[in-house]
Amino acid sequence: MTLTMKTMELKLQRAGRKHSRLYLFCNFMALMIISAYSALMCSRTVQTVFPSGGDSRKQMYAIFVMTLTGCIVFTIYAAGLFFRHKSAQLGILMALGASRKRLLPGLFREVLLLSGVSAAAGAAAGLPFVWILWSLFRLVLVDSSEMKLVLDFRCLFISAAFFLLVVGFACITAWRYLKRTNIMEVIREEHTNEPVKELGRWCGPVGLLLIFAGGAMGYFAPYVWQILFSAYAPSWTSILYVPMLAGLYMTMLYTVVYGWGRNKKNPYKNIISRGMMKFQAKQTVNNLLVITLLIAGGCFAMFYLPASGTSTMLSYRSYPYDYFYQYRADQKVPEEDEIKELAEKYGLTTKDWAGCDYISLAIGGYVNVEEEGNRYHVEYLPVCEEAQILSEDAYSALTGESVDVEPGTYFCVTNRDESNIYANKSAQDLTNMVTKKGISTSFAGYLHYDLLAEMIGYYVIDKEDYRILEEGLTDQWRGRIMQFNVEGEDSYSFAKEFYGRFLASFDESCEYADFYNRVEKITAEEAGEIYWMDTELGKDFMISYDEADSMNFQLRWRYQPKFRILLINDYLCRMGVLYMMFLFIFIVCLTTSLVVCYTRCQTIALNNRYVFDDLKKLGASPGFLEKEIRSQCGNVFRVPSLVGMGIMYVLFAMILYANDGRITFYEMIALIICLVLVFIICGVVAGVYRVTVKSIKKQLDIG
Amino acid sequence: MLYVKDLHKSYEVGKVKYQVLKGIDFHVAQGEFVAVMGPSGSGKTTLLNCISCYIPFDGGSITVGGTKLAGQNEEMLAKIRNTKLGFVFQDFMLLDGLTIRENILVPRIVQGEVGRDGEELADKLISLFGIGHIVNKYPAEISGGEKQRAAVARSLINNPMVILADEPTGNLDSKSSRAVIETFIEAKDKMNATIFMVTHDSFAASFCDRVILLKDGTLYRQLEKDGSRSEFQDELLGVIKEMSA
Repeated sequence: MTLTMKTMELKLQRAGRKHSRLYLFCNFMALMIISAYSALMCSRTVQTVFPSGGDSRKQMYAIFVMTLTGCIVFTIYAAGLFFRHKSAQLGILMALGASRKRLLPGLFREVLLLSGVSAAAGAAAGLPFVWILWSLFRLVLVDSSEMKLVLDFRCLFISAAFFLLVVGFACITAWRYLKRTNIMEVIREEHTNEPVKELGRWCGPVGLLLIFAGGAMGYFAPYVWQILFSAYAPSWTSILYVPMLAGLYMTMLYTVVYGWGRNKKNPYKNIISRGMMKFQAKQTVNNLLVITLLIAGGCFAMFYLPASGTSTMLSYRSYPYDYFYQYRADQKVPEEDEIKELAEKYGLTTKDWAGCDYISLAIGGYVNVEEEGNRYHVEYLPVCEEAQILSEDAYSALTGESVDVEPGTYFCVTNRDESNIYANKSAQDLTNMVTKKGISTSFAGYLHYDLLAEMIGYYVIDKEDYRILEEGLTDQWRGRIMQFNVEGEDSYSFAKEFYGRFLASFDESCEYADFYNRVEKITAEEAGEIYWMDTELGKDFMISYDEADSMNFQLRWRYQPKFRILLINDYLCRMGVLYMMFLFIFIVCLTTSLVVCYTRCQTIALNNRYVFDDLKKLGASPGFLEKEIRSQCGNVFRVPSLVGMGIMYVLFAMILYANDGRITFYEMIALIICLVLVFIICGVVAGVYRVTVKSIKKQLDIG
Repeated sequence: MLYVKDLHKSYEVGKVKYQVLKGIDFHVAQGEFVAVMGPSGSGKTTLLNCISCYIPFDGGSITVGGTKLAGQNEEMLAKIRNTKLGFVFQDFMLLDGLTIRENILVPRIVQGEVGRDGEELADKLISLFGIGHIVNKYPAEISGGEKQRAAVARSLINNPMVILADEPTGNLDSKSSRAVIETFIEAKDKMNATIFMVTHDSFAASFCDRVILLKDGTLYRQLEKDGSRSEFQDELLGVIKEMSA
C-alpha cells in the first residue's frame, strides 16, 4: 500500500494507542461523572424533594461545582499527558519538514476523534449510569414513590457544555503545540521536567498555619461581625476561608518536595522518589488538591447520612411511648375505643394510655428586626410566635412527672440533651389570640420530654395561669395530646392503618407545615401586611394531603403523629431521595478522586520509565524499585485522602458544635460512625492503591 | 553550499541572558564532510539547531544552497528542512509506529507523494547501507546501529543539499559507530552528499575532510585532513588538549 500523509498518521495513531487509551478513559470518566451528576441533580425526583433554597440543595450544588472543577482539571491534565507523548511524533515530523499547515488536518482529525468520541461516549453513558445506580439503590436500599427517577433532559445542556469544553481544550492544546517555533523543545517535551525553584523549609509550617488561620477566620468571622456591627455578616466574609486553600497548596508542595519528619538515621530514605516528584511538583500538587477537594466533597455528602440518621433513629428508639399524636380540638380524630378496636383486629392490645389538653397561645420573644443593608437590631415582641401551653397537671398526667410551676413563670419542654434550638427561654408575655388578654411571665427552667421537643415549642405553666389564659379560646386554639403503648410486639400494618385513618380525619384547615405560624399571620394581617407564607415565596414551603407519603409532608406536617414503628421502618423510605442523592454524590466524588489518583500514578510509569531503567542498570533490586513506586503512589493516594477526610471530619464536628454550642450524645455517636466510615473509605483507597501499584510494576517490568 | 556568517544566538533563563554563539563564520562546500567539535557548552548543538531551522537565531546569516534562512516564514522554513536538509539525530528519532522502510520514506510522505522514484531511491539506499533485512521491522525490533543507518537513509531520501547530523554516534558502540560513519562516507562518495556533523567523538571526526573547533561560542580553529585518518585523529586530540588547557 502506498503511504500517504493520512495513512501514515493513522499508523502512528495506532502505535500510540496506549497513551490514547488513558486519554480516552479520562475523558470518558469525566464526562460520565458530570453527566450522571447533572442528570440526577436536575431530575424532577431530586428537585421536588430538595427544598428550594435549603441547605441540602446548596450542599448538592456546592459539591457539584467541586466535582466539575475536579473533572475540568483532570481532563486538562489528561490532555496535557496525551500531548506530551504526541509532541515527540509531531516534533520529528516538523524536524523532517512537515509544516504546521501539513500537520494541522491530521492532528485535528485525531484530536477531534479522540476527545469527541470519548466525551460523547461518556456523556451518553452518564444517563444509563445514573439510571442503573439509582435502580440499584431502589432495589437494594430503599424504594418509594418519591424514589421514581424522573429525569429532566435539560441536564444535557450541562453535559453538552462540558463536552464542548473538553473538545475545545483539546483543539486549543493541539494548536498551541503546532504554533511552537522551537522544534527541539517540541521533540523533547516528553522528557522535559518543570523548572525547579528552591522551596523554603518554612513553606510547610506556614502552610499549616494558614490552614488553621483561614479555617478559624472563616468560621468565626460571621459571629465576630455580628457582635461588632449588630449586622449579619456579608457574604464576602467567606473570602476569609481563602488562606486555607493557599495553606493547603503550600502544605502539599512541602509534602511533595521535602516530606514531613526528617529521618536522621537514614537521611537518604526516599531520596529517589522524592527527586522524581520534585520535578513534577506543580502538576503533582494540582492533582493532589483536586483529589483532596473531591474526597472532602464525598466525605461531606457521606457524613451527612450518619449525622442526620443516627440522632433521629436513636431518638425514635428512646421515645417513652409507641404511639404519640396530637390534634386540634375542632378535628374529629379516631377515639380511644376505635383505636383499641383497630388494634384488636391486628391482634394487639394497647396499654398505658395517657393524654392531656393543651392550648395554643402567643408567646413573647426577641427577634432580629432587619434594617437597611445587613444591619439589624434585636427587639422584644410581646406577641411573637405560636406556643403550645400545658398546665402543670396536664404535663404530669402526660409524663407521670410531677411538676410545680410558680404563677407568672413557665417551664420550657425540651429533649433530654436540651438541644431543641427552638425552645424560647426569653418570653415575658403569654397572650390569648382570641381575647387578646395575656399575662406576664418569665422563664423558670427546662422540663425534659422528647416527644414534645418540636419546632413549635411546648411550655408548662401554673394551672391558675392556664385557667385565666384559656378563657374565651375557640377550638381552633385548643388541642389534645394522646399517647399509648402496645403489649408485646407492635404491628406495622396496624400503625399504617391507624395513620391512614388519623390523616383522613383532618380537614383542610390543618393542611399546613409546622413553621406556618398562626400568630405571625394574625400579627402581619393586623399590621396590614401579607404573611410571608401566603405570598409566592411561601408556596415552595406548602404541604399537601395529596403528597402525604412525601418526605416534605412527613417531616413538616404540623400534626404529624409519632408512631415509633412507622418512624423506624419508613425512615429510609421517607428520607430516600435525600439520602440516596448524598450516597450518589459520595460514590461519584470517591470514584472521580480514585480515577485521578490512578491516572496521576500512571504518569509515574510514563514519565519516569528512563529513571527506573537506569536504576535497574545500577543494580536496583525489584524490591527497591517497588519501594520507590510505593513511595510515590503512596503520596498521591495517602496525602489527599488523609487531608480531605481530616478537614471534613473537623469541619463536620465544628458544624455539629455550632448548631447548639456543644456536641450532644447523639452527635457524638454520629461522629463515631463517621470515623468508622473514614476507615472504610481508607480501605477502599488502599485497595485501589494496591491495584495501581501492581499495574505500574507490570508496565515497568518489575517482577 | 552552506554559508554561516557572523552568527549570534543567545538564550534567556529567567532574567539572565546567555550568549551561546558569538559571531560564527564558516562555509561548507558541496560534497564535503565536515565535523564540528568542542567542549560541552561551546555552542555546537545550538549552531546545528540554527542551521536546521529548529530554533531562531538573533543575528548574522545562514545560507543553504543560495537560500537565506533569516526572514523566512514557517511554511518556507519547513520546505527548506524537507527538501534542502537531511537530518540524523543522536537518538535516531525514528517513528515507533512505522516500519524501517516507511520511516525512510517519511520526508517524501511529508513532501506530498512518495512516487516511483521515491520507492526506487529508498531501495537503493537500503541496499547501499545494508539494511535490507530489517526493512519490514519496527524500530523497537532492531539495534541502535541499524536504527542510525536507517536514519541516514531517511536523511538522504529527498536528495538534500546538506545532511545535518547531531552526535550520530553518541548512543552507539564502536562497531556500530564505524558502520554509521561508513554510511556517511558511502553517501558522500556515491551520492556526492554534503555532510555537516556535530560530534564529541574524535574517532568519528577523523573520517571527515575538515573539522571546525568551537570554544565558548566562537570558532577556535579549523583543521583539514592532509594525511591518514589516524594522523588526523592524533592532530585533533592535540588541538583538543590545547583547547582545554
